[in-house]
Amino acid sequence: MTLTDLSLGETGIIQKIEADTALSNRLRELGLLDGMAVRMVKMAPFKGPVEIKVRHSYLSIRWNDAQSILLKS
Amino acid sequence: MKYHFGSSSAKGGHDGDRWVALVGNPNCGKTAIFNLLTGLNQKVSNYPGITVEKKEGLARTDHGDFRLLDLPGTYSLSPESFDEEIVSEQIDQWARGMAPPSVIISVVDATNLGRNLYLTSQLQDLNIPIVIALNMMDRLEENYHIDYEKLAKEMGVAAVVPLSAKLNEGLPQLKSEVIHAFIDNHDIADSPPWMDSEMVSKYASTTHDGYASSRFGLAQSMRDQNKSGMNNGDHEAVLRYRWIDDILSRVTRREVETPLAPSRSEKWDKVLTHQWGGPIIFVSILYFIFQSIFTWATVPMDWIQLGMDNFSTFVVDKMSDGMLRDILVEGIIGGVGAIVIFLPQILILSFFLTLLEDTGYMARVAFMLDKGMTKMGLHGKSVLPLMSGYACAIPGIMSTRNIDSWKERLVTILILPLMSCSARLPVYTLLIGAFIPSITVGGYFNLQGLTLVLMYFLGTAVALILAKVFSRWIGEKSSSSFIIELPPYRVPIPKSVLRHVFIRGKLFLVNAGKVIMAISIVLWFLASFPKVDSPNSEINPIHHSYAGKIGHAMEPVIRPLGFDWKIGIGLLTSFAAREVMVSTMATIYNVEDAGEETVNLKEAMRADVHPETGAPTYTPLVALALMVFYVFAAQCMATFAIVRQETNSWKWPMFMVVYMTALAYFGAMAVYQGGKLLGYS
Ligand SMILES: Nc1nc2c(ncn2[C@@H]2O[C@H](COP(=O)(O)OP(=O)(O)O)[C@@H](O)[C@H]2O)c(=O)[nH]1
Repeated sequence: MTLTDLSLGETGIIQKIEADTALSNRLRELGLLDGMAVRMVKMAPFKGPVEIKVRHSYLSIRWNDAQSILLKS
Repeated sequence: MKYHFGSSSAKGGHDGDRWVALVGNPNCGKTAIFNLLTGLNQKVSNYPGITVEKKEGLARTDHGDFRLLDLPGTYSLSPESFDEEIVSEQIDQWARGMAPPSVIISVVDATNLGRNLYLTSQLQDLNIPIVIALNMMDRLEENYHIDYEKLAKEMGVAAVVPLSAKLNEGLPQLKSEVIHAFIDNHDIADSPPWMDSEMVSKYASTTHDGYASSRFGLAQSMRDQNKSGMNNGDHEAVLRYRWIDDILSRVTRREVETPLAPSRSEKWDKVLTHQWGGPIIFVSILYFIFQSIFTWATVPMDWIQLGMDNFSTFVVDKMSDGMLRDILVEGIIGGVGAIVIFLPQILILSFFLTLLEDTGYMARVAFMLDKGMTKMGLHGKSVLPLMSGYACAIPGIMSTRNIDSWKERLVTILILPLMSCSARLPVYTLLIGAFIPSITVGGYFNLQGLTLVLMYFLGTAVALILAKVFSRWIGEKSSSSFIIELPPYRVPIPKSVLRHVFIRGKLFLVNAGKVIMAISIVLWFLASFPKVDSPNSEINPIHHSYAGKIGHAMEPVIRPLGFDWKIGIGLLTSFAAREVMVSTMATIYNVEDAGEETVNLKEAMRADVHPETGAPTYTPLVALALMVFYVFAAQCMATFAIVRQETNSWKWPMFMVVYMTALAYFGAMAVYQGGKLLGYS
């Protein structure tokens, strides 16, 4: 399951990030590490960006990029 | 090897004196702290060769002064955007011993310690003493406790100073800790504490030469490998966060651990970024801003007009007849005065823009609009530059630097000057005020305000359509992502907002002072000479002046747009800056009138009639065509100079001049000729 499978308000644990190097490096630097808990806060309509909460901060990530974040099922 | 910094001020920095760098994540309050530390002792310049704002200031303390440099906000030393590249390149130079600061102030948002300390820990590798400015203390939850001294000790920084830029608390302590750090001998380990000995020997072999700090070299070596994708399982971010989280677990205490609990901002966002409600609110806010520019500004504008009138009467009374008086009254006071009157509107516009940015609302707008912007070939982060374009294209173009894809950044730059900037406001205001009746339409809307909104809308709509066209035409697939932080909603710091508005107003006036005064004087000469000896009462001498001749020569080209020779001169002078149009018209009418007082431009234009037919020279239709011309026209040379620098080629600015001029000419022609066909005159 990926980040975009979370419904609004649901929390998941990051299993791993399967994105290209630049994107996964950036996500890691912002604190999205394996084992971190994330909560789905908001989804913009028409598969626009999603807003998640991780480590006390709110991040916005595009739908496609969010799909490369795999969660523990 | 141990490093001692007692003497680092000798090699440190500009001119051998000690100076301090301010580094931090975006939105951590860096600007606010910079302002508090330096007061009015600051200057904004550009980095050599590139148009990135470099803010420097002088901080005064009882124990001596130090110079302060503010760097753009960044999350880490692995840059994604041009903005971040500036910071990482600068820091790389310091690591190589090139003019490093004596002390770094690492500004940290206390409400988001882990993520903010990531950058701090990267800075530590430089072996430069670091003072952590723990900002936003006023926003810290009550159940959260931080042991500052222990944090400083465990991290290995010179000091941790809790403060609040908003309440102006803790700044004296910050200054004295910086002074302390100058003279303290600071011992720093020569390898990062989060690397084990195995890693140290592994990455030592791939470390580049030339780093003054071996610790930075080691970390950079791992960063480079991470970047190329061959990380062998070691990951800088993973290791650093593990180290930071471990320290935080020992120096912070939370009575209830709730890292994912909804914040107050999240509740606000239920409404403000609601799927459908959000965009409606955004459009309403924009509409409100533009209406208020028109309604609120009229009172101070009347004052300025009155002041100018009195001033020129005063000058006329006090000075004796002669050319000097004519230049002063007709050229300078008439020309500059016609511009200064728009100061209130510019201040109101930049006030609202600053407010939207500082409250954190702009990030939400970017979030809401990212999908739509992507569809148009732009980027969620294009929204702020485009909106700044309403104030001035130049800061707008410069703020595209944080868009992480070159193509989308370029498209944003190409269309940005179509956003009606505040220099066009004087032109719109003059024409609307003179020719559009102030009546209520649709029971609710003021026709003047509506016309103004329409001009902004026209520019914006065409800009978005062209973005799509240009994006197709450039081809090249984009590789951007849109990872931004949505900062909590904050009440802006009034002083910060006012300072920003003040700086904008000052720039506008300085411009009015220099460019516009020079042009007004030159124009006055062109419009006043050669003098006709016996002016016959029918034909005004200005027709025979140099300016008149130039304008008349242009007339055949601009006649199809409904413009006469006076507007022609205005269009020419507008190449320097758009608002010069207004001062040009003012100077021409003042010279033409040649009376004792400066003329009221609005009334003069309304009263202007064709010398032969007696029909009004300017009609609402001509005014409309002229406004449409200004919506599109490429007129501000400074803009294209900036585009040249930001795109590093003449190709793009030239392209912009061509497409914008074509749009302006044919757009205005369509309005005028179309209007005539419909039976308007
Ligand atoms: N509550 C609170 N807000 C602050 C503080 N410092 C800055 N801010 C606000 O945080 C926002 C971002 O600040 P700014 O100085 O522009 O951050 P920068 O992006 O790091 O330069 C602005 O709205 C400031 O008014 C603080 O200590 N407390």
